[in-house]
Amino acid sequence: MTTFLVTIGVGLSTAAILSLSAVSFTLQYAVSRIANFAHGEFLTIGAYAAYSTQAIFHQNIAAAAVIAAAAGAVAGLVLNTAVIEQFRGRSAITVLIATLGVALIVENVLQMIYGAANVTYSFAQGNLHHVGPFLWTTSDIEVIVSALAVAGLIYLLLQRTRFGKAIRAVSQDRALAQVSGIPARRIVMLTWVLAGAVAGFAGFALADTIGTFGPTLGFSFLLLTITATVAGGLGRPYATLGGALIVGLVIQIAGTYTSSEYELVWAFLLLVVLMLFRPNGVFVRRSSVAVRA
Amino acid sequence: MYWVSVFTEAGIFAILALGLDVIWGWGGDFDLMFYGYLALGSYMTFVLSIGKPTPPVQYIIGWHLPVLLAIPLAIVVVVGLAAVIGAIALRNLRGIYFAVTTLGAVSALYLLVENYTPLFDGYNGVYGLINPGQSALNLTYDGYRIVFGVVVLVVLFLAYLLVQRLSRSPYGRMLRSVREDERAAAAYGRPVFWAKYRAYLFGAALAGLTGGLFAIFVSAFNPSAWTPQELLVIYAAILVGGRGNPRGVILGTFVIYVGLIELTRYLPSPASRPDFGPASRQVLIGLMIILMLRFRPEGFFRERPGLDTERKPARQLPSGAVGALAPAATGNPGVPEGQAADEGSSS
Repeated sequence: MTTFLVTIGVGLSTAAILSLSAVSFTLQYAVSRIANFAHGEFLTIGAYAAYSTQAIFHQNIAAAAVIAAAAGAVAGLVLNTAVIEQFRGRSAITVLIATLGVALIVENVLQMIYGAANVTYSFAQGNLHHVGPFLWTTSDIEVIVSALAVAGLIYLLLQRTRFGKAIRAVSQDRALAQVSGIPARRIVMLTWVLAGAVAGFAGFALADTIGTFGPTLGFSFLLLTITATVAGGLGRPYATLGGALIVGLVIQIAGTYTSSEYELVWAFLLLVVLMLFRPNGVFVRRSSVAVRA
Repeated sequence: MYWVSVFTEAGIFAILALGLDVIWGWGGDFDLMFYGYLALGSYMTFVLSIGKPTPPVQYIIGWHLPVLLAIPLAIVVVVGLAAVIGAIALRNLRGIYFAVTTLGAVSALYLLVENYTPLFDGYNGVYGLINPGQSALNLTYDGYRIVFGVVVLVVLFLAYLLVQRLSRSPYGRMLRSVREDERAAAAYGRPVFWAKYRAYLFGAALAGLTGGLFAIFVSAFNPSAWTPQELLVIYAAILVGGRGNPRGVILGTFVIYVGLIELTRYLPSPASRPDFGPASRQVLIGLMIILMLRFRPEGFFRERPGLDTERKPARQLPSGAVGALAPAATGNPGVPEGQAADEGSSS
């Protein structure tokens, strides 16, 4: 029973990072209607940005998180301007292939700069704490708390601000939003900046929890992110949080009772089940409509 | 000998590109699992032909078949896996959902092979298929490599003839009609799923064959030989050559393999950064994919229409007639999947 509760605890920590990454992915989908396969690279860029500057800020974990988010935001801005907007009006799969090309470029440029070998942060992981029935390190707690805070901020942003209202309008119908006087291009751009910042921060949190990472950090997390997003329903930010929770717990529990190397295998099986029975997410009623995007 | 090896490799991957072009070029399905089929074909050829494993090494089967028998059996296994994946992924999933599912499948296969050592000895991989039949043919090592290169090019030519034939057959036309507008094709009574499924199995069979040839070419195979990145090179080759045009695809593969390998050989690679050369090659591939998609999505050799339209040009339909058939439910109306749409809206 103790093992199980510890597993749940670790699962919650995974789910927290996953929810940040998945919310970012789903925001991109909501405004641009594309699946960004270079999304994992935002995480990698955030992680490496924090790695490069950790000595300057004397291993200050808050400064590293801000740097990672800023780097992710810049990456989001560049990707949207240089690639996504250039492909406007093209089929979603064409853009997907292009972002896959971007992922290849970023991964290998990072490899040229930092080498293919893994690097390690020198932040302290902190001690183990018993929180209720769970067993968490200090950085686990930091990750979970900050994920909750970011999720709350995104909720407030989407529901209570003019910017959030504009995002919701653009995600429903970009052309209609445009003729209603919403500067759609700018809203989309800012959403990518926001999504990039969230993903960059998630990358830092992920790298900090794992401890050691390389240029493929983000791409190997992409499949988990997509599974969580699909579980919630593509383009639905709040449902995505639930999806991340499900995926985080399922792979952690399944991984603990088999072997941690097979976590992604379980994620794939979950993805297949979702694709076959609930392609529009677990929180909507079953639809018989074929999924074509 | 260096050039023999370069051209043999390019020839092997040209066969792979032809298979992928059937799935993606004509079927219109962006398959990320495809390199996994090559890998499985390669692994199966090894374990069927190199005999029992010696203790620290472990892998399944361990038969001692001649390669000419091992490769067809490997193809059967590959098509079996493709039948399962295709049945899951092609039934209802299209576009990005199909891509995501196949990405998941290849990731799962990769992790399974890498971590479950009883299968194909995990990260160490399998090896020991060195010039099978060399002594029976009474050849020197170099002579064997030359003969093997010629065999690869002959197989490539046969594959080309087969694909070309398929392209002009009624089935090839049906497949492309399904790609252009699935609902319209279905409305005309075309079996959409079966058309795509057969294309998928055919493509996977070619990948299995390529895997067998690749096994002989490299004589050792482990997970680092089939990272997901490798597949993007094949997609780049198809994009450069011309999606849906077999001749263009073969030419594109040769251009990419011979051209890129030669170009990046002369790039300076500082001793402190041994990864610099290979990484810069991947960056070039990525750039090429993006630029081709953006500025010339049909490639340098356009897909050619089937024979029937060459004989008798079809009457021009008013543009509204096509628009009325196109469904507007995809989120970006008027942009159905396929090249015609890409050309029309690339401005």
